[in-house]
Amino acid sequence: MTREIGINQLKRRDFLKAGLVFGAGAAGLAAGYAAVPDAFARAVYAAKREGMTNDNVLVMIQLAGGNDGLRTVVPLADPSLHDLRPKLSGPMVSQALPLNSQFGLNHNLGQLKGLWDRGKVAIVQGVGYPNPTFSHFESIRIWETGDPTRRQVDGWLGKTLATAYDSNGHPLTGCACGATDVPGALRDLQATMTVIQNQKTFGFSGGSAVEAAVGALYKGTPGIYGALFDTAIATATETMATLRTSAASYQPMADYSDKVQLVYSSKNQLAAALQLAAELIVTGTGVKLLHVTLGGFDTHYTELNRHDDLMGYLDSAVGAFYQDLAAHGMADKVLIATWSEFGRRPKENASGGTDHGAAAPLILIGDPVKGGLYGDSPSLTSLDATGNLKYAVDFRSVYQEILGGHLGADSSKILGATFDSVPFLKAPVSSSV
Amino acid sequence: MRGGAGLNWGMSLAPGQEKVASTAEPVHRGITRRQALAAALATGVGVGAVRLLGGSMQSLAKPKAGTAMDWVSPLGSESARVMQLLRRTSFGYTPAQLDAALSDGFNKTVDRLIETNPVEPAAFAAATTPGGRFAVGQLQQWWLDQMIRTTTPFAESMTLFWHGHFTSDYRKVADDTFMYWQNLTWRRMSMTNLRSMLMQVTTDPAMLRYLDLATSTGQSPNENYSRELMELFTMGPGNYTETDVRESAKALAGWVLPQPDSTATVTVATGVTRQLPVYSTQRPGIFNTRRAFKGSVTYLGKTGPLDTQGVVDRILAQPATAQFIATKVAEHFVAAQPGAGYVKTLADAFRRSNYDMKTLMRAMFTSPEFNSAQSYRTLVKSPADFMVHAARALGATNLSTLIAGAGSGMGQSLFDPPDVGGWPNNESWISSNTVVERVNFVTSALAQIKTPLPSATEAAHQQLDSVLSSQTASLLNQAADDRARWFITLASPEFQLK
Repeated sequence: MTREIGINQLKRRDFLKAGLVFGAGAAGLAAGYAAVPDAFARAVYAAKREGMTNDNVLVMIQLAGGNDGLRTVVPLADPSLHDLRPKLSGPMVSQALPLNSQFGLNHNLGQLKGLWDRGKVAIVQGVGYPNPTFSHFESIRIWETGDPTRRQVDGWLGKTLATAYDSNGHPLTGCACGATDVPGALRDLQATMTVIQNQKTFGFSGGSAVEAAVGALYKGTPGIYGALFDTAIATATETMATLRTSAASYQPMADYSDKVQLVYSSKNQLAAALQLAAELIVTGTGVKLLHVTLGGFDTHYTELNRHDDLMGYLDSAVGAFYQDLAAHGMADKVLIATWSEFGRRPKENASGGTDHGAAAPLILIGDPVKGGLYGDSPSLTSLDATGNLKYAVDFRSVYQEILGGHLGADSSKILGATFDSVPFLKAPVSSSV
Repeated sequence: MRGGAGLNWGMSLAPGQEKVASTAEPVHRGITRRQALAAALATGVGVGAVRLLGGSMQSLAKPKAGTAMDWVSPLGSESARVMQLLRRTSFGYTPAQLDAALSDGFNKTVDRLIETNPVEPAAFAAATTPGGRFAVGQLQQWWLDQMIRTTTPFAESMTLFWHGHFTSDYRKVADDTFMYWQNLTWRRMSMTNLRSMLMQVTTDPAMLRYLDLATSTGQSPNENYSRELMELFTMGPGNYTETDVRESAKALAGWVLPQPDSTATVTVATGVTRQLPVYSTQRPGIFNTRRAFKGSVTYLGKTGPLDTQGVVDRILAQPATAQFIATKVAEHFVAAQPGAGYVKTLADAFRRSNYDMKTLMRAMFTSPEFNSAQSYRTLVKSPADFMVHAARALGATNLSTLIAGAGSGMGQSLFDPPDVGGWPNNESWISSNTVVERVNFVTSALAQIKTPLPSATEAAHQQLDSVLSSQTASLLNQAADDRARWFITLASPEFQLK
C-alpha cells in the first residue's frame, strides 16, 4: 500500500467543497470545458486510494438472459455452424465484421470493431466453468459470487469493495446504475454502495424538509433490516449531494441517444445507465466499481432480429461511453467488461431461437486492454453430453486479471484461489498469481 | 428550508437531535451492516427495543431512549395478531375492515380469508382491443383499483403471489389481453388445487408465449417452459436432470395459442395496417396433436408415452414439489428463513391433502410460527403491498394512477417482473433508490389527497402496533398536524415491514 502526501491527506468533504466551488466556476466555460474537470477528476481519483495501489475504474455490463456467443463472435470458417443453425447462421457469417480469417464480430458491433482496430478490445473465448448449470439463476449466482460450488453468498465486486476499499461513508465507491436493487455481484453486507435508477429523478420529491425528516427517521432502526434501511437512506442522502455537484459539472461528450429500436423492448436503459456512469467517473466522485445491466438475451425464439438489435444497442451505448470517457481524458483509467450467465446451445430450436448453453466469449474494452483474441474457441463438433460448447477458460481467470491487474486488489483473497492467467491487460498493475 | 409538499413540521427537529447536514458529511458508522445484522439476530427478541403500550398520542410522549436492536413483539395480544394477519395477507386494512376483523378475532378472520370466494374485478373494457393492444399502465391501474377497493383483498394478495411465482411479463407476451386473462385465471385458481392449477398455468395463453411453449414442437422442442416448470414452478433446482428437461420438453410440445373469433384491420402506423386477432371471450391454449411428440420419453425415472397431465402428475409425485411450494409460501407469508422442520410440516399437510391450497394456507396461518415473536417484522412489504396498504390506511381510493407509475422505481412494476424468477423479496426491496422512492410515494400520495385526511391519532397504534423506534416516536411527537403524522407513519421503517 502506498500513500502520497498532499492531496491524499484531504478529506472527502474537502473535495466535495472543492467540487462545489469548481462546479460554479465551470458553468461559465464552454469549449475548453472538458480539460479542467479532468484534472480535478484525476486528482480526486488519486486521492481516493483507500488502501488501493491505483486509481482505476471497472464497469461491468451484464448481458442478462444468456448471450449467444456464436452470434457475438462468429466462427467464419466452421462448416458445422450451418448444420447446427440452418435458420440462424446464414447472414450472421456473411455479414460479420472479420477480426481475422477465423472469427468476426456481429455485424451490428461496428463501433466495437473500430475499437478493436485500435487495439482497445480483448476477446476471451470459450469462457465458462466446470459442470455448468443451465438455470439462469444458479448460473447468474455462480458468476456473481465467483463460486461454481454455490456456497458463497457475497458478490465478487461486493467482496472487493469490502476488502479493498473503505466504502463506509463513501457509498459511491460501488454503484449500480440504471437499477433499483443491488445486483448480486455488488452484494456484500460489509460494503456500502449506491443504487441509482435514474439520475434525473434521484432525490426527495419533498425537498430538504423531507430529506431532513427522513434522515432523522432512519437512524438506529431496530430489527434485522434496520441497518439496511438506515444505510440506504444515509447512502442516498450523501449520493444526492454528490450528484448535485457532478451533474452541474458534467457535459456529455458523446451521443447517448438510443439509435436502435429493440424488437423486444428491454427495461434496462443501457445508454442512460452508462451516461450516468460516465458522469460519476469524469466528475471525480470516487467511484471505482460500476455495474449496469442490459436484459433481453434469453433468445429462445425469433432470435435473428432480436439478438442483432441487442448487439446494435450494446454497440451504440458502449461506443458512446468510450467516446465520452476519452473526450474527458479518463479512458486510460476505465476497463469495461461484459458478462452473461451462459452462452446458448449451438443447435437452434423450432422457434427460430436457441436454448440455454454453456461457454461463450467475454469482451473487454478500453485503453487498459491489450487488444486481441485470448482463450480458445470451443469446437462445434466436439460438444459436451448436453450438446453444449466446452469451456476453455474459467471465468475466474478473467476476474483474477481484472482484480489483480486492473484494480490492484488481492484476487486470491477475493476469489479464494488462483487461476490460470489470461494476460489481456496492457500493463497489469500487480500480479497476485 | 423549503417546505415539502405543504408538510408542516412545526419545528422540524428537536434540539440535540442530529441534523441532516445539507452538505455531504461522510456517514461513518461504528459498526458494519454485517455486524449490526448479526447483533440483531444474536440478541433475539425483546432486548432493549422500544415498545410503547397503548394507542393514544399521550403514550408516545416519552419514548424510552433506545439502544434498540430488535422490535419487541406485541403478538401476545389478539388484536396485534389480527393486524399482522391482515398486513401479511390483505394489503393491510381500511379502518372499517380492521374493526370488523378485530371484532371477529383471529380464528374467525382466518376462516373468512380461506373460505370466502374471490370477488371478481369489474370487467376490463380495453381487453377486447384487437391484438390486445392497449397501454399496460391501464391494466396495472385496473388491478390496483381492485386491490384498493375489493372486499376480498386476500384474493388479490394471492393473485399477486402467483403472479410473482407463475410469472409472465407483458413485454415478451406482447398481447395485453392475454396478460389480463392470466390475471383473471390466477385469481380464480389462487386457492384451489395445485394439480389443476398447473394445467391452467401450462395452457395459459400469456404463459404459452412467455415461456415459448406455443412455438415448441415434438420434432424440435423448445426447453424454456419445460425447464422453468420444474425449476421455478414446482420442484426447484437439484431435483431433476438435464435429461428430464429435454424429455419433458418433448412431452409438453403441441400447445398453441387459442383461435380468435375474428380478425380486425388495424392501422398500426401511418399507412400500415395489420390483421389482428379479436377474442370475444377468454379461452386457454389448444393442443395440436400434429405438433406433439410421438413416442415414449424417459422422465423423472419412468419411461413411456407421456402427455401434459402425465408430466404434471409425475411432478406431483415428487416429494420435492410440496417442499418447494411450502417453502415459497412460508417465505412469503411467515418468515424470511422459515425453519426446515416447519416447512416440512406444511409440506406434509399439503401433500396429504392432494395439494389443496386451502389446506396449506390454513395450516400456515394457524401455526404458532405465524404469530411467533421471532417472525415479527421479519418480512419487507413489496412495493405494491406498501403502496396499496398506504392507500387503504388513508381511505384513499383514487391513487391507482400514482401507484402504477411509482412501482418501477421501487423495483416492482405489475405485469413486468424483472425476469422469469419473478420478484425477489425482503432485503432485495431495500436500496438507496427504492427507499427514497418509497418516501417520495408518501409525499405524492399525501399531496394528492384533497379531502381532509383521516385522523392520525390512532395511526401509530393501528398501523405500527405502537412498536416504534425512538426516532419514529420522537418525530411523531413533534409532528404538528395529521398530514405530518401520516407522513411519518407511512414513510417510517416500521410501515415498510409486515
